[in-house]
Amino acid sequence: MKIDRRSFLGLGLGAAAGVAASPMTWKLTDDISIWTQNWPWTPVPRDGEVTFDNTVCTLCPGNCGISVRKIAGRAVKIEGRGGYPVNDGGVCLHGISALQYLYDPSRIKSPMVKKRDAWKTVSWDEGLALAAEKIKSLRDLGRANTIACVAGSGEGTIAGLYRRLLMAAGSQNFYTMDSMDKTWKMLIAEMHGFDGTAGFDIESSDYLLSFGTGFIEGWGSPVGNFMANSSRKDRNAKLVQVEYRLSSTAAAADQWIPAKPGSEADLALSICSVMITENLYDKDYAEKSGKNFDDFAKLVTEKYAPELITRTTGIDVPKIKSLAAGFARAKAPLAIAGRGRGDAAGSMMEFAAVHALNCLAGNINKKGGFWMTKDADTMIWPSLVMDDAAAKGYAKAAAGPGGSPDRLFDALTSAGEDETPVEMLMVYNANPCHTLHDAGTVRSAIEKIPFVVSFSPYMDDTARLADLVLPTHMFLEMGEDIHGCASSVKKVTALSKPVAGPLFDTRHPGDAVIMLAKAVDGSVRASFPWESYEVAISEVMGDTWDILAKDGYIKCASQPPAFRPGVDFKLLVGYDGPPAPLGDKKKFPLILVEMDHMRLTSGAVASSPFAVKTVPDTILKDNDILVEMNPETARQTGVSPGRMAVVETPVGSARVKVNIFDGIMPGVIAMPGGLGHFGGDNRYIGGKGVNVNELIGPVIDPVSGLDAAWGIRARISRA
Amino acid sequence: MTKDNHGKAYKFGMVIDLDKCTGCGSCMVACMSENNVPFKENETDKKDSLTWMTVYKLTNGKPFPDTDICYMPRPCMHCGGKGDHGHSPCVSVCPATATDYGYDTGIVSQIYTRCFGCRYCMVSCPYHARYFNWWDPKWPPGMEEYLSPDVSPRMRGVVEKCTFCYHRYQEARDRAYYEKRDTIAEDEYQTACTQACPAGAITFGDLNNPDHEVYKLVKPDPHNCGRPRDPKAFRVLERLQTNPKVYYISEREWVRKAGDNYRKGEWDKKNMLTKADGQH
Amino acid sequence: MDSALIPEGARRCPFPVFAAGIAVASAVLLWGVYAMGLVWIKGLNQTNMNDYYGFALWIWADLAVIAIGGGAFFTGLLRYVFGIDELKHIINLAVVIGVICYSSALLILAIDIGQPLRGWFIFWHANVHSMLTEVAFCLSLYFSVLIIEFIPLVLENRQLDKVPFFHNLGHNMHGIMAVFAATGAFLSCFHQGSLGGVAGVLYGRPFAFREGLLIWPWTFFLFTWSAAAYGPCFTLTVCKIFEGVTRKKLVKDNVVDLLAKISGWMIATYIIAKIIDTIYWAGVTVSDMGFSFMHFYSDNAFYGVWILFTEIVICGIVPAILLTVKRFREDKKLLILAIVLGTIGVCINRWVMVLQVVAVPVMSFDTWALYIPSWQEVATTILPIAYGIIVLSLAYRYLPMFPQEQELYDAK
Ligand SMILES: Nc1nc2c(c(=O)[nH]1)N[C@H]1C(S)=C(S)[C@@H](COP(=O)(O)OP(=O)(O)OC[C@H]3O[C@@H](n4cnc5c(=O)[nH]c(N)nc54)[C@H](O)[C@@H]3O)O[C@H]1N2
Ligand SMILES: Nc1nc2c(c(=O)[nH]1)N[C@H]1C(S)=C(S)[C@@H](COP(=O)(O)OP(=O)(O)OC[C@H]3O[C@@H](n4cnc5c(=O)[nH]c(N)nc54)[C@H](O)[C@@H]3O)O[C@H]1N2
Ligand code: SF4
Ligand code: SF4
Ligand code: SF4
Ligand code: SF4
Ligand code: SF4
Repeated sequence: MKIDRRSFLGLGLGAAAGVAASPMTWKLTDDISIWTQNWPWTPVPRDGEVTFDNTVCTLCPGNCGISVRKIAGRAVKIEGRGGYPVNDGGVCLHGISALQYLYDPSRIKSPMVKKRDAWKTVSWDEGLALAAEKIKSLRDLGRANTIACVAGSGEGTIAGLYRRLLMAAGSQNFYTMDSMDKTWKMLIAEMHGFDGTAGFDIESSDYLLSFGTGFIEGWGSPVGNFMANSSRKDRNAKLVQVEYRLSSTAAAADQWIPAKPGSEADLALSICSVMITENLYDKDYAEKSGKNFDDFAKLVTEKYAPELITRTTGIDVPKIKSLAAGFARAKAPLAIAGRGRGDAAGSMMEFAAVHALNCLAGNINKKGGFWMTKDADTMIWPSLVMDDAAAKGYAKAAAGPGGSPDRLFDALTSAGEDETPVEMLMVYNANPCHTLHDAGTVRSAIEKIPFVVSFSPYMDDTARLADLVLPTHMFLEMGEDIHGCASSVKKVTALSKPVAGPLFDTRHPGDAVIMLAKAVDGSVRASFPWESYEVAISEVMGDTWDILAKDGYIKCASQPPAFRPGVDFKLLVGYDGPPAPLGDKKKFPLILVEMDHMRLTSGAVASSPFAVKTVPDTILKDNDILVEMNPETARQTGVSPGRMAVVETPVGSARVKVNIFDGIMPGVIAMPGGLGHFGGDNRYIGGKGVNVNELIGPVIDPVSGLDAAWGIRARISRA
Repeated sequence: MTKDNHGKAYKFGMVIDLDKCTGCGSCMVACMSENNVPFKENETDKKDSLTWMTVYKLTNGKPFPDTDICYMPRPCMHCGGKGDHGHSPCVSVCPATATDYGYDTGIVSQIYTRCFGCRYCMVSCPYHARYFNWWDPKWPPGMEEYLSPDVSPRMRGVVEKCTFCYHRYQEARDRAYYEKRDTIAEDEYQTACTQACPAGAITFGDLNNPDHEVYKLVKPDPHNCGRPRDPKAFRVLERLQTNPKVYYISEREWVRKAGDNYRKGEWDKKNMLTKADGQH
Repeated sequence: MDSALIPEGARRCPFPVFAAGIAVASAVLLWGVYAMGLVWIKGLNQTNMNDYYGFALWIWADLAVIAIGGGAFFTGLLRYVFGIDELKHIINLAVVIGVICYSSALLILAIDIGQPLRGWFIFWHANVHSMLTEVAFCLSLYFSVLIIEFIPLVLENRQLDKVPFFHNLGHNMHGIMAVFAATGAFLSCFHQGSLGGVAGVLYGRPFAFREGLLIWPWTFFLFTWSAAAYGPCFTLTVCKIFEGVTRKKLVKDNVVDLLAKISGWMIATYIIAKIIDTIYWAGVTVSDMGFSFMHFYSDNAFYGVWILFTEIVICGIVPAILLTVKRFREDKKLLILAIVLGTIGVCINRWVMVLQVVAVPVMSFDTWALYIPSWQEVATTILPIAYGIIVLSLAYRYLPMFPQEQELYDAK
């Protein structure tokens, strides 16, 4: 056949039409779309049998019961544990996100040693030997007292083991991070002569007078507080929030009292004065069984009458009187101090002034009131073996007095060139380089320590400065005893248990310390007779262990304690106000405060990707942190919304973005806490924003010796 | 099952008590975790951030110290559309029937493998409840381990949104079927956000069932497209006739007013009318 | 060099000059193709669209090119259905513009969707309630019709015409063109309308929503009317650009005048309808939804009443007057001003009906959302322009696009 142009074209067209009409085209079109529905780079989760495992969340002191849903053995979802006394099914966003902490690829996957600023992976034996060698040599040199340890909290058997290691080695330098609980404990001792912990029966109180306490920002046991807050409507209970900023708690409150920052204690005393002058107090408790009541009454009625303090607080007389009436007439009034999330110790005097209200109302150890409970000391530790080196070292005073890490780092900062008060530091469950005030100085102090060991699962702001990291399990991979439910009257002792992994070459923090002690040998080894943490906890917890192992948790009866210690107002008689924030008023006309935000963690663990995702762009925008201020403040300082500005304080400065909010008092600026983490390879939180603790310096409370800072004087200008 | 029982279809809905909501964000995260919602390194561009449940922060617009705020969680409203006939703003516009109205449940579905990403549904939704997968979903290495097989991860280029945790309904329905039951109980099917909310602010259930808590809370008017009869309850943008199945409750008047748009003076007039209505 | 392809007797610029021009346009085209490739490979994250701006620059471009391409169906309707014979002298141009506009629209749609390989689901899983389904069907069908209208012109190329089959085919197609033109006009009326419907049915978007007739919101009719009214403005604008670039008269004044006059009256009637629609919308529709008119034009950095004024007065009433009044229409400068304003006017209308719709806050606590397109969006939007220039240049060079060209040249 002759192929001319015409037939060629004809054939071509025919072929095209044929192909188009053939099933192949349709099949291909279909196949291509099916391919787009099954892109190999879109994961297909594996299916399998569904099981549930219960444990306890330790991401914050709330210690909620959680239930982990597993599919074919792999943890896929965390939910609240129904019926658990703390949270009854509810759960906060951080707890739900815990699987992101578990599967986080930026976790420390094995022990590492820092050599000339570079990390080198080592085995556990090598790592432990290195740490043990250091302890041994310091003991041999008679400098056992220069071994220090900072732990998140002092409760539980794991913290007990770390404390024990220090004692066995011969050092008093064991520190736990400050929190309001420490201050309350001291206050109870001071005013009631009682050794115990404070509890607030929030869920039964019908009138909560809160002095800046962030029930809804994550104070105490967050989920429990949310539940209590929700039940207020049904119980007809009131919440009055004293705060210079319309926080979520203030917004949830029935009444918001925007007293000037720093004047909270004055306001509390003024309410006391009204209660006393108008005879609105519990005479039997406060006056008859109380000590130094008359001096206290004289002080408040003479110096803190409402007329005298409206200027300092900005709250007018009728309002103060109505607060006093409301508080005093309530069936179960409860006054609470401990600002924001209660992460900071706070001022003892401020706590005392607030607590005076509870004492005047007589609502002590009663339903809906303030409870003092004895710490149930159920642990039985075998006696320590202390050799000569240990005894000598232990006889020497701690570097930082009062067990406050602030004082420890203070001592390091102020030590001379040739002094080394701390030769070795161990850090467990704490991130002081991020969470302590004036974090920059803390960092420099830690850099001065010749040998730092971190027991962190994550490359956090402190671990990055360590010389050795001995990575521990994250909480879902381990079991421990939990003594918890911070600040609540519902005391729950629980046993968490491993529900996943371990995914990497990590160890239980209890096992890690036991292994370390054994590697040190001698009397230190002898003080740790257990084979493993599991053996240790079962022996140390004694009878409690058996119940915990069987039931998972023990709930103490939520009945108010039967006894009712008396009150001594002596501390308050010498009241001359809480310590002022750092800084010169002329140079720094504004006050910078940290604001806690429920969607950001502020403790040792940085926020998860999920949590960061929920953070509004009025807090974080790209990598910039936003500072909140009243439109009036912006006008006066000449900064504009959405634009960059520089915040300066006596201890630091930072570039920030400006966010305008009507609900904050003019003259006060607020920065969210929980940002500015190092984060290592974790780009979901690492490097985002600024750590507000770099801008706020510590203020040592003259009474408690703890850090009482809640803010600092500041100025802001256009960047 | 119930589909055959004429008129006995479920009408799942949600009631959110704005006076209880603390803005904590647990519902947002519970949803992301339940439904395999991915995340990016930078999620601060809120107009490009997949959050089926979003918590809005409303303010009353007054200066210090009369300012007030309110948090408003917003899942997909599962709109019944004009006349509550199932022609939701989004369903009626989708050219490929990739989003559909379940007449037996009242749930607006989203079928990712059907969606071809034209985004018309997003444009139609006044609540911004729909989200586009601008990026391939990516999890950091190892984190895919927590993905749930109950909900398929979406591919780039399709729209997704809250499904009222439809897979939980399916599970409950299957269990009921297996146990030869005709209906599913209130507590058998609860969404992940409802379950997680520590404040107990969210209530979920069947708006057709007078025994269910959601019904008692808002008393939907069946002759008025489910309009709430409880004076404290409202729906967002009621006037557009989208007929959402998510209701809100607040004691605060400014919050209820913020739920819709009113011309000058209109709110006061409306309120007087409702007050008058309440007389008889 | 390519003289064998050039219509007999036609005077065209030297090939190298032509090739240079095409090369410049091609460079722009390639830039657009590169951006398009990026979008297809990497996805829509290459754009600055977001969950507020689900529809943005591209959908506007789509609606705009279809509106200004409306000259094709409307001229076809006038010529073949209403039998206005003079218009045969400009119909070829209208058809070529139509082909360019509609193929561009389809291309933009293919870039704009998140899953282009599943684009056909719109036909396979069609939802009859969706205006977009109606658009897709009518658009593709009308595009086929346009191709059918275009083929005879292509077959008139000097070389193709020599092939007897093509010659006969072209001849026969001319014979039945009225049928296609009528079908095309019907289809086009429908999809122009559906495009209006796309916005008008959005009862969750008060700025777009319009009440209407049966299933069609008023925008359905307004879009068709405005495309018919303003489409010819664009056809005439392109014609004038051709005449300017080639420095030749290509279409006789009476033809231009006739089309301009029809366009003028169409704009006049349209703009009256549009004003009534706007007043009803502002006074009744959005008022019932709880909004005031100014809600849509205040509290933001861009959308003010100026845009409505520009659309209706400057680009509506002004061209309507200029084109309907003989004295103005015959003034060359005023004519050009009028047709350019008209073209801009319809583009602004499409802009607001796509972008302002999504920019306006609907929930009382929502905020205005403004957006700036990414370079990839801009490049892919310019792509059709480069492509249009190339196709028009080729068509002009090698096809007898302007039947009066020779006559007008000879007359000179
Ligand atoms: N990556 C990956 N992709 C896949 C597959 C895979 O294995 N991996 N599998 C492929 C296969 S085999 C399939 S079948 C598809 C499944 O793909 P899809 O059909 O998209 O299935 P799902 O994503 O499981 O569920 C889609 C939505 O359907 C809605 N839905 C479910 N049941 C009902 C109902 O009864 N009524 C209404 N109104 N809505 C309902 C729910 O809202 C749910 O969100 O995915 C395909 N794509
Ligand atoms: N939770 C949940 N369950 C679901 C669904 C859901 O969305 N969620 N979707 C449902 C749907 S729509 C579907 S289609 C099913 C799919 O569920 P299945 O039918 O279980 O499909 P797959 O798990 O994809 O593949 C089945 C097995 O086939 C194997 N296989 C692959 N190629 C071949 C081959 O050439 N020969 C043989 N002999 N074996 C091969 C694979 O390795 C795999 O083990 O799941 C259903 N179940
Ligand atoms: S409140 Fe605390 S303990 Fe409870 S889930 Fe959240 S982080 Fe965990
Ligand atoms: S979880 Fe509950 S309280 Fe928290 S934001 Fe959501 S609805 Fe509000
Ligand atoms: S809220 Fe939006 S996405 Fe959900 S049903 Fe209504 S219109 Fe559709
Ligand atoms: S984006 Fe998907 S679901 Fe939305 S309208 Fe388009 S095809 Fe339908
Ligand atoms: S109902 Fe389910 S899908 Fe919807 S917001 Fe809640 S958790 Fe997410």
